[in-house]
Amino acid sequence: MTTTTRERAGSLFRRHGALLVLGALLVIGTLAFDSFTTPANLGNIATASSFLAIVAVGMTFVIISGGIDLSVGSLFVLGGVLAAYGSRYGVVVALLLPLVVCGVFGLVQGVIIARTRMAPFIVTLAGLLAARGLMLSLTDEGATTYLVEDDLFASIGQGAVLDVGYPFLVMLAILAVAVVFLQRTGFGQNVYAIGGNEDAAALMGVPVARTKIVVYLTSGLLAGLAGALNAARLSSGVTILGIGMELDVIAAVVIGGTLLTGGAGGLGGTIAGALLLGVIQNLINQIPGLSSSFQQVVSGAFLAAVVITHRVLGGVRDDDS
Amino acid sequence: MLRHRAAALLGAAALLVSGCAKSENTATAPEPGGSDAQQQVVESPTGPAGAGCTIARQGATAFDLKTAVVGFSQSEKEANPFRIAETQSIKDEAAKLGIANLKVTNAQSQFAKQISDVQQLIAQGAQLLVIAPLNSDGWEPVLQQAAAKKVPIITIDRKINARHCADFLTFIGSDFVEQGRRAADQMIEALGGKGKVAILLGAPGNNVTTERTQGFKEQVAAKAPDIEITFEQTGEFAREKGQQVTEQLIQSNPDIDGIYAENDEMALGAVTALKGAGKKAGDIKIVSIDGTRGAVQGIVDGWIFGVVESNPRFGQLAFATAQKFLDGEAIPEKVIISDREYDAANAEASLGQAY
Repeated sequence: MTTTTRERAGSLFRRHGALLVLGALLVIGTLAFDSFTTPANLGNIATASSFLAIVAVGMTFVIISGGIDLSVGSLFVLGGVLAAYGSRYGVVVALLLPLVVCGVFGLVQGVIIARTRMAPFIVTLAGLLAARGLMLSLTDEGATTYLVEDDLFASIGQGAVLDVGYPFLVMLAILAVAVVFLQRTGFGQNVYAIGGNEDAAALMGVPVARTKIVVYLTSGLLAGLAGALNAARLSSGVTILGIGMELDVIAAVVIGGTLLTGGAGGLGGTIAGALLLGVIQNLINQIPGLSSSFQQVVSGAFLAAVVITHRVLGGVRDDDS
Repeated sequence: MLRHRAAALLGAAALLVSGCAKSENTATAPEPGGSDAQQQVVESPTGPAGAGCTIARQGATAFDLKTAVVGFSQSEKEANPFRIAETQSIKDEAAKLGIANLKVTNAQSQFAKQISDVQQLIAQGAQLLVIAPLNSDGWEPVLQQAAAKKVPIITIDRKINARHCADFLTFIGSDFVEQGRRAADQMIEALGGKGKVAILLGAPGNNVTTERTQGFKEQVAAKAPDIEITFEQTGEFAREKGQQVTEQLIQSNPDIDGIYAENDEMALGAVTALKGAGKKAGDIKIVSIDGTRGAVQGIVDGWIFGVVESNPRFGQLAFATAQKFLDGEAIPEKVIISDREYDAANAEASLGQAY
């Protein structure tokens, strides 16, 4: 009886913990700081967090399938540079060029991981280096910043409805589609099955290789898209972005309740996790005299708290493998 | 349900705990004093009349600096002396002027965070922004929001690529080309106008690297055609990278006579590499730019020939420029801060003023 209660609490916390903490922080922020709950400030947080959130949607699929994708930070900056470069040929090229290139990166990584059964960690680490190298070679070692030359493309990143930027709305649309795929289709079930137990899934006839390839392809595409949107927002292909971003993305996914061991998790928590990181950064800035270094301390503390809580509340679920 | 509340409380507690701690770095800050103030004189006078940016043209309404919300956005982690001295100088000058509402953020070397930081400062009602930009491009979201509220932006130490007056008020910084030229003069003196020189380039993609390289090469070509630049590689402004590149350099070009390091950190890395290779102090002449205490000590110890300063003490000049702007004066696109120079003659005596 106690076990079931604990299990249920654990599962509830895993699914909604990030959202609850996010809500609590919003309340604390509102009570403590005048300049926190203003439309402009909340709009800034939402818009700035949407790029991380879009990448984290892809990462959620990867992690639920039992893998990891370290290449997303590099694909994000590569996507941005390609989008800015492509914008001279119009909005279509600006969007397609990063999607095609980053999609190919994801696809190749997926094929290697699925066909050779090499560790995703190594394969995507190679992808991280290759994508950043490609970005540097396109920009004269980072010295050239391409400027966005298409106004329509720039407006996708810069437009806003009531202080909330279009990128946030794009993120919501992507989230909606992704939730349907993950929760309502056979593909989504296969992703969970592979992450839960790959061999068992294969025995049950789940197309393991194909599912994995699609998962890494999705992750690459979304990283490229997020990079492109960010380039539109910044009006330029900034070359110093994305370093270490993969770790923030993984943190958002894990804080959002997806198990790093695969097989369990969801997208709502991921988005809450991404927003939570943005809110923490904003709140730390609100406290006078507090160094920004504490942002990482607090984010790290949250991550630790979430993982420990998973272990304490949902120990049974974590152990079965 | 109880568990959820516990989790929320845990989160709140984490925030509070961190709230109790204070920022720590004051130890390495430059000493305030007369010499300090002297260093901050403007080298170039205000530009020609009509070319400057006046408050009428920019569109802001005048305000009193003392009571205004002033935002300062630092770009990099305060792990290097330049950044520590820079932030401290802004804070000290604000305190001296009685600016009560100075908000300081640090982007921790993450550009996305710096954009968010400055947007947040604008949302918090900043009436003046002082920004040390991490990158020169990509400021569109900030510039739009600042322009909508007519907030004047002063950038220090690096530029923002944007329109003078419409987007930013002024850029205050060193003349990096001139720094390169002065470093070349020191190198020419060190080598007697003849020899082989290696350049440890700064991080690619910013104007500091390009201009320090340009100034050095121009001056060497003009004044000492017998000096040959035989090796150029980036040390990314980092000590360990400077060391690594120098180790390769000694292997591939053992006949090198001088090393021009585009900042002190790389020069100190080079010193470590030379020590490791069994060289003696003064065997290879090192000239660098920045003027940190470690490098000036290197001159005293004989490992470094000379250092051209890159002055990080922007506080006085930044707020004086802002005050002039508020008083209706025209502000030029670029204000140049003066840099000093260290060599064997003055290094020991000047050690206290190095940052």
